[in-house]
Amino acid sequence: MAQARITFQEELRELEQLLDVEAELVLRSLRGAAEALVTGDAELADEVIAFDDDIDDVYLRTERAIELLLARQTPVASDLRLVLAILHSNLHLERMGDLCTTIAKLTKLSADLPSDYVLLEAFREMGERGQEMIRIALDALHQRDAGLAESLLELDELIDRSNRRVVARLLELAPENLEWGLRAIVASRCLERIGDHAVDIGEQAAFLATGEFREFSDASHDTRPLV
Amino acid sequence: MVTSMSQTESPQIDSARIAQVSRGLDRAEIERREKVFSVVNLGVSYNGKPALEDVTLDVHTNTVTAFIGPSGCGKSTFIRCFNRMNDLIPGAKVEGTVLYHGADLYGRAVDPVDVRRRIGMVFQKPNPFPKSIYDNVAFGPRVLGLKSGLDERVEKALHDAALWDEVKNRLKDSALGLSGGQQQRLCIARALAVEPDVILMDEPASALDPISTTRIEDLMHELKREYTIVIVTHNMQQAARVADMTAFFSVLVHEDGSARRGVLVEYDTTAKIFTTPADKRTEDYVTGRFG
Repeated sequence: MAQARITFQEELRELEQLLDVEAELVLRSLRGAAEALVTGDAELADEVIAFDDDIDDVYLRTERAIELLLARQTPVASDLRLVLAILHSNLHLERMGDLCTTIAKLTKLSADLPSDYVLLEAFREMGERGQEMIRIALDALHQRDAGLAESLLELDELIDRSNRRVVARLLELAPENLEWGLRAIVASRCLERIGDHAVDIGEQAAFLATGEFREFSDASHDTRPLV
Repeated sequence: MVTSMSQTESPQIDSARIAQVSRGLDRAEIERREKVFSVVNLGVSYNGKPALEDVTLDVHTNTVTAFIGPSGCGKSTFIRCFNRMNDLIPGAKVEGTVLYHGADLYGRAVDPVDVRRRIGMVFQKPNPFPKSIYDNVAFGPRVLGLKSGLDERVEKALHDAALWDEVKNRLKDSALGLSGGQQQRLCIARALAVEPDVILMDEPASALDPISTTRIEDLMHELKREYTIVIVTHNMQQAARVADMTAFFSVLVHEDGSARRGVLVEYDTTAKIFTTPADKRTEDYVTGRFG
């Protein structure tokens, strides 16, 4: 039998590539946001904030492309799963961009305040781990690799642990560091949420590969400490 | 005042309905229903050349079952086995078993005419008789000698075929004056007038415009409450819209390219076939990747 629906297959490939473009922008934003936070660089923070428009632009283009593709091509089976996975992943990437913007805004508010080097080091590590998770999530999606996707859970646990340590460290801070610390705890939470979104993309990758959707972890029965 | 989640007013949730919407009709639920047809190792050949081989499947009551597949896969040959239409084709030979409510449909004592009364058929092209609308619907009951209450019988059949309101004031007009979509619903009414158990539909909407097609599809949803429906369709989205169960047939070609025969590749709930088919050939067909 000859291969058919060639245009449709091409459109699906382009849609998947659009997700890569968006992920690349989010990675750049996260690198910038983490760097600005760690170095207290308000100028870089401004750049990150402005850069979010670029992410939103790709997000909207992807959203429209999906709408059009659903209306014109009515995909089914693995094609439908791919479109649904892209639809969800697109939103997760856009949210990550928003979280980077929040980190940048917090950086601007606290750039001149006395900080804490232990926490700054933790944020650098969390930012790098977040970038690694985004790359793995996208690789798992492209390679239809449920095992790789599920490995994100372990990396997420490391970010979660760092986030919990931030709170413990904060309680040890001197009073003059407290204002910075209060803003830092929100930034830490943003970095932690970026990891969660990467896990969510991993869940979409596993859905795409296996045909069954399931959450990797169950928030309502999680026995780990909250902070 | 503290209000817990359990104390707040929650909306009425029909969990069975939610399950059906989210997953389609459950296979176990379908299989709990009575078997109308049980097909075991069925094969059909024309003049010694196999057209269809080794099909085994069950059709359950009050469901819509769709047969899909590329041209030449034997799906029309297969549906014709359910009311012994292949008996009318010279050189056709049916092997294997077709049980109808547990009884052998091809048993010696079975009268094919009686079979076709219980198992009606609607074809691709509407084929009304060149008679009045009324006489078309009354034809079957008259042949069977069901003369009492004929008007009521005709009206009910036209109602059930969703045609009554459009024709009630012109029952004596020629059926050939109806539109294609109306003619097809008339053919459905004609099949319903003899109170069948099963309605077979071979590409019932392929000659119709989209609006008429939608009406036929809506009709199938209504009719399955009372009847069991089996449909052959080229239109995969139609199968996805109307069927509870879907069977995918494909063509097997001998290595030397000489003989082609139809085989059943996969038979499952329509939800499964169109979301996560088990066989690669089904996946390739429903996604339109190969054809």
